[in-house]
Amino acid sequence: MSTAAASATPYPFSKIAFVRPASTIDQPILESLQKGKGLMPYLQSALVPSEKQQWIQTLFSKRHPDRLQPGSVVTVTTAHAPNTFSGVVLSIRRRGPDTSFVVRNVVQRTGVEMQFFVNSPHLTNIKVVKKPGDGGGRAGRRTRRAKLFYLRHSPEKMTAIAGGIKA
Amino acid sequence: MIGLKSTLNVIDNSGALLIECVNVLKNKVNNGWGSVGDEIVCVVKRARAVSAAQQASANAVKVRRGDVRRAVIVRTAKAVRRPDGRMIRFDDNAAVLLNNKREMLGTRIGGVVSADLRMKGWGKIVSLAPKVTFSVTSVRFYLLIGTQYRSCKIFPTFLCAHTLSGPP
Repeated sequence: MSTAAASATPYPFSKIAFVRPASTIDQPILESLQKGKGLMPYLQSALVPSEKQQWIQTLFSKRHPDRLQPGSVVTVTTAHAPNTFSGVVLSIRRRGPDTSFVVRNVVQRTGVEMQFFVNSPHLTNIKVVKKPGDGGGRAGRRTRRAKLFYLRHSPEKMTAIAGGIKA
Repeated sequence: MIGLKSTLNVIDNSGALLIECVNVLKNKVNNGWGSVGDEIVCVVKRARAVSAAQQASANAVKVRRGDVRRAVIVRTAKAVRRPDGRMIRFDDNAAVLLNNKREMLGTRIGGVVSADLRMKGWGKIVSLAPKVTFSVTSVRFYLLIGTQYRSCKIFPTFLCAHTLSGPP
């Protein structure tokens, strides 16, 4: 949207209209894409900018030691919205381009959950504030579940994990 | 997803504590679901006790149990979808009481409200709230691949920064 407008040549007869820039895709690939061949694999690799693809790949892989795990405390930064959202990761839903995760926090005595879709251009950063199992003693082990929806009904366990992280 | 018989907490200082929905005003029919930003007709089920001195005072806008009022939904336990695909849900249902002219009855709001209110035209309530979860600017998206519309299993917003058309 905005990137296309920035690099486009202006149209001489109108201030609002612009001529779309030439495509940066090779002609043979472009032809088969326009017929619909290999469209989904191409989009999966090309839609997301490569720096973002790097950290998405590590965070949402299945076996990487630095991957995002349910029970970790995370701060999500988004574009188009002035705020960041922090909280405990309750669940990760791995579906390729539709991958999403749910973050839960308690804001002014009300629990709030937000589901973020990873490949959205609005999602700019995910920062892991605390890995699961960072507390001492019994809490110092990773969660034994993939989906932590039981935390909705036990605020004590939420505070044990999240311990005073602001929204 | 607020409908008939749904209960909501009241988070302003109008005096009511718990209200029960009777009708959702955006639908022409009585059955139907209300979401954040929808106006509902409700019955006050529980209210704060109004002392005799407060009753006599001129600022008595306090509501009583059994009153039928209007309200706007500010939080739902059912997830609400933002234009870019984000979902947001709260732990309870909450509302703010209104009069028939869509003005607030109370003067203060205590609690989080959803930012979808602003998109539906309740900017006054959003400005009074102590905390608003995530304001959203308008998102334009279009789907253009070659000269044909292609339906893909991808959210439309993901394609807004990318066109696959050839040279103009």
